[in-house]
Amino acid sequence: MMKKILVANRGEIACRVLRACREAGLSTVAVCAPNDQGTLFTELADEVVLLEGDTIATTYLDQSQIINAACSTGTDGIHPGFGFLSERADFAQAVMDAGLVWIGPSPHAIEQMGDKMTARKTMKAAGVPVIPGEEVETEDEAEALIALKEAAERVGYPLLLKASSGGGGKGMRAVTSPDAFEEAAVAARREAVAAFGDGRIYVERLLSGSKHIEIQVLADRTGTTVHLGERECSVQRRHQKVFEEAPGPTMNADLREAMGAAAVAAAKAVDYEGAGTVEFLLAPSGEFFFLEMNTRIQVEHPVTELVTGVDIVREQLRIADGQPMSCGDLHLRGHAIEVRLYAEDPANGFLPAIGPLTVFRPPEGPGVRLDTGVREGDEVTPNYDPMLAKLIVWAPSRDEALERMRRALDEFVVLGTTTNVRFLRELCDNEDVVSGATTTTTIEDTWPNGWSPLQREALVNAAVTSAAAAESFGMHRASTSSGGAGQADGPVSPFATLSRRYP
Amino acid sequence: MQHRFNVNGDEVEVTLTKTDDGWAWEGATVNQHTRGRLHVTMADGRTALAHAAKVGDVWWVHLDGHTFALERMEPGASSQQHGGGLVAPMPGKVLETLVEPGDEVQAGQALMVLEAMKMEHRIVAAHDGTVTAVHHQAGEQVAQGAVLLELEETN
Repeated sequence: MMKKILVANRGEIACRVLRACREAGLSTVAVCAPNDQGTLFTELADEVVLLEGDTIATTYLDQSQIINAACSTGTDGIHPGFGFLSERADFAQAVMDAGLVWIGPSPHAIEQMGDKMTARKTMKAAGVPVIPGEEVETEDEAEALIALKEAAERVGYPLLLKASSGGGGKGMRAVTSPDAFEEAAVAARREAVAAFGDGRIYVERLLSGSKHIEIQVLADRTGTTVHLGERECSVQRRHQKVFEEAPGPTMNADLREAMGAAAVAAAKAVDYEGAGTVEFLLAPSGEFFFLEMNTRIQVEHPVTELVTGVDIVREQLRIADGQPMSCGDLHLRGHAIEVRLYAEDPANGFLPAIGPLTVFRPPEGPGVRLDTGVREGDEVTPNYDPMLAKLIVWAPSRDEALERMRRALDEFVVLGTTTNVRFLRELCDNEDVVSGATTTTTIEDTWPNGWSPLQREALVNAAVTSAAAAESFGMHRASTSSGGAGQADGPVSPFATLSRRYP
Repeated sequence: MQHRFNVNGDEVEVTLTKTDDGWAWEGATVNQHTRGRLHVTMADGRTALAHAAKVGDVWWVHLDGHTFALERMEPGASSQQHGGGLVAPMPGKVLETLVEPGDEVQAGQALMVLEAMKMEHRIVAAHDGTVTAVHHQAGEQVAQGAVLLELEETN
């Protein structure tokens, strides 16, 4: 029986896993880089081990420091979250070699799925349909470029260049014509080498007008492998998802069964254990193709949790402990939507933004879930991914879920740092989002020249009047409106405390 | 009471008129509420609660689901413009410098590649011109707002 878990991650997902451990009665250890000290996730853990180092490579990616932290704290198992070391087979192996439980699939399964080329071969052999494409594996940059160009001619345009060991949109480039190929290939290779230490590039046909549909799977050691239905995550910018929902708005029972069976076959082909996600492209023709399998918990897992009633992280803990999964037959109920709140400027090419979270007031109320790793007063730094929070809503129907999301986004107040909250709000009014006809190019198609907010003149004038009035009222000198940016908060009023306790 | 704000790049002069318990401008009235909030009535009659907070010289205002960052210009101050300078949009590392002083460049041409938040960003020329200075080379860390290159516009 596992009693103590170390979470080898940070931010929002560390909070999610630490909370699940607390609920399961497990004690917890967080590891934290010096620049993460005092952040929310470190406060949710029973113990915190400070990692030494000033880069991601020397902290959250330093396998031996993390395993030493686990051993010195008497930890039984390690949960990797997503990103960082979650899909590193060598880390999974090192964890097990240290006598610890690895909360995830076997190193063999990670390896088979982590390498896009091997995954393709394995899936083909298992009878799962794959997209036309080729991989180029050449060390020398000049030779690689020639080989890539040849592969591109065979695969055909438009095409997609991807880092073989990539993910999250890094090292990925869409190329529509041969003229733009060389520049894109050089950049893709450079990003691949910088981010993954591996310059192998995969050239693949770009299937336009397709939907991104993924199937959540769970497999335990007793031999049970099930799927928890689909999530649609078509709406993406720079190949990163921003709007995810379950069930898929255009899904039907037959297609769900076919894709679910393909996902289960994919998991079984690598003797999968734990929670995983099989991603597919669903073409307008109704054909679906295997994209990749993510051998870890996924950012958008909450939408599946809300419509299936399954706590996926809790199931991960159960399965890693050798117990059978607790969920039975699949029952979908209602509709869930997740949006990702990023510190970024959608009016300026979605460039990441930094600054203080002087005011951070997330929405509340029925059917609203917020998974975040930040709170008011925190500073957004360029050190890590700019995702601040995931806002997830559930409602009995898709229309009501969209209405709830609009309400929730209107209530979301973030001051001090630029975010994409208004972009997300406008997305909820987008024709394709409303009808469910979203594809992976919805954002580019809707805003080909970039997005800028739709604002009535009366609203802009009222906002400027508010700023001027706030200055005239001297609101910036009142302790209630300060905070962040190095300003110390004033003493807490006993009346504020009182009114909170006895509303 | 007079204020000047930078609203999406435009300088806007605001002359507030005193009302019973607040201020008015261009048909909008604003009354103080509590704890960083304001009661707002817009020119079209809509009412809403605004949240406001000041960070540095910038007033952040959340109103009716929209967020505004409005820089308040101190009386007498001129708007900060680096003459032809291209500044780092965020802190990061210079990956590659694609031009040298004296190079003739065209609008849209990439001048420098920056890396921040694990992504690559291109610094591109906003107009045709001649590169007059390159202040940072590959491998250097740059702060947000650092002037990376200078470009003289071709007439």
